[in-house]
Amino acid sequence: MVIVEIVNGPIEPFLSNDDRNKDGAELIFNGRVRDIEHGHKIVALEYEQYEGMAEVELTTLAAETRENFSINDLFCKHRMGKVDIGETSLHVSIWSKHRKEAIEAMDWFIFELKKRVPIWKWAIHPDGTKVPSECAH
Amino acid sequence: MINIKVKCFSQVKYALGANEINLHLENGSTTLDVEKIIREKSNGKLDSVSLRIAVNQQYQAEETELKDGDEVAFIPPVQGG
Repeated sequence: MVIVEIVNGPIEPFLSNDDRNKDGAELIFNGRVRDIEHGHKIVALEYEQYEGMAEVELTTLAAETRENFSINDLFCKHRMGKVDIGETSLHVSIWSKHRKEAIEAMDWFIFELKKRVPIWKWAIHPDGTKVPSECAH
Repeated sequence: MINIKVKCFSQVKYALGANEINLHLENGSTTLDVEKIIREKSNGKLDSVSLRIAVNQQYQAEETELKDGDEVAFIPPVQGG
């Protein structure tokens, strides 16, 4: 199963539970906002999406990841709007029989997300100015 | 003539100072025609920015003829995560 959510407030992590009898691996990734961008201090990032298309592309990508790797479930939440330093902007949980598949699937999913899902970051500087982020990693 | 809506994001929004732009175009106009207009409006600010094109929220791999009412987005490099 895949679950994809684009949310406006703080991310509530997906719950772990103890009844996943077929999953030997549970891999959780949290992408967080750093305080430095291209050598300049920032106070927050603001995420922008192409509403509609972003969720469709993210859902398609999650389904592709599940098809391409031997994983059982992939759940993803991506935050929009202003995200303060240290807060989570991306939360992904993958469950699989063994760890290797989950790790490879996670790496590919995030790599592809950064190539094709229409979501962007604006850097907010200490003086309040807001500019498109140059970070594409 | 056809009317289309151009959605602007990230560097395109920053360069043009608008969330969206409405254009009135000749019949038979294509995504390439609109890209030329957008780049001209940016006064060089988008010269070094690669743009992918989506029509009605779907990526287009090739130049596409536009229809009345189409929504076009020029998508600068994405940055999710």
